[in-house]
Amino acid sequence: MSSVLVLTPIIIANWPAITAVVTAAVATMGFSAVQAAETQQTQMAGTTREEIEVDNSEILENAGGRGEELVVEREGLRAVFTRDGRGVLRVCMEGKGHSKAELRKIGQELVDRVTQQYVYHRVMTEMKQRNMHVVSEEVAEDRTVKIRVRNW
Amino acid sequence: MAKEELDIEISPSGKVTVKTIGIKGPRCLDLADFVARIVGRVESRELTSEYYETAAQVEDRVDVKLRR
Repeated sequence: MSSVLVLTPIIIANWPAITAVVTAAVATMGFSAVQAAETQQTQMAGTTREEIEVDNSEILENAGGRGEELVVEREGLRAVFTRDGRGVLRVCMEGKGHSKAELRKIGQELVDRVTQQYVYHRVMTEMKQRNMHVVSEEVAEDRTVKIRVRNW
Repeated sequence: MAKEELDIEISPSGKVTVKTIGIKGPRCLDLADFVARIVGRVESRELTSEYYETAAQVEDRVDVKLRR
């Protein structure tokens, strides 16, 4: 080896791009996107909420600057992804019969999967543009993705 | 074209470890920095013996000339 770098990811994407990443990533945890009309549910008693900010994220503003919300659900759990006024990606977790700590744990796992999916997509796209070929790719038991690329 | 190879690991939380393989000298930093620019911020960087190989070879050559 000649050098080893450890990198902290920064998500920089526009809303349509991050929507695609989120939809793909959360599907691996059994969540699926719901239509806006289906999200107009009344707040039920006993529903807990927990909000998580995605560190190191910058979501670029749409031309219209509206409609930047994505709702995904799984068995009574709801995660609402939004872009806040500063351009940071946020996730609001909602669920009945869940503690705040449980919601935070699930929400953090969603955020991790979104981040991993974003990084994977970004790396693969850029490597292809640089004519680097993927010679092996595997997903370890702990979900670490291992990729070897070369230029010959 | 020089043969370049990289091992890239993306952890479950998205943290990335990049190892350059068989790339001697500062060229390895070019490639690693390219990945760094794609991903985000460099948290740590470690240079291993292979990085210094090119510099060591140059010094050897200078040494031989001096002895003649």
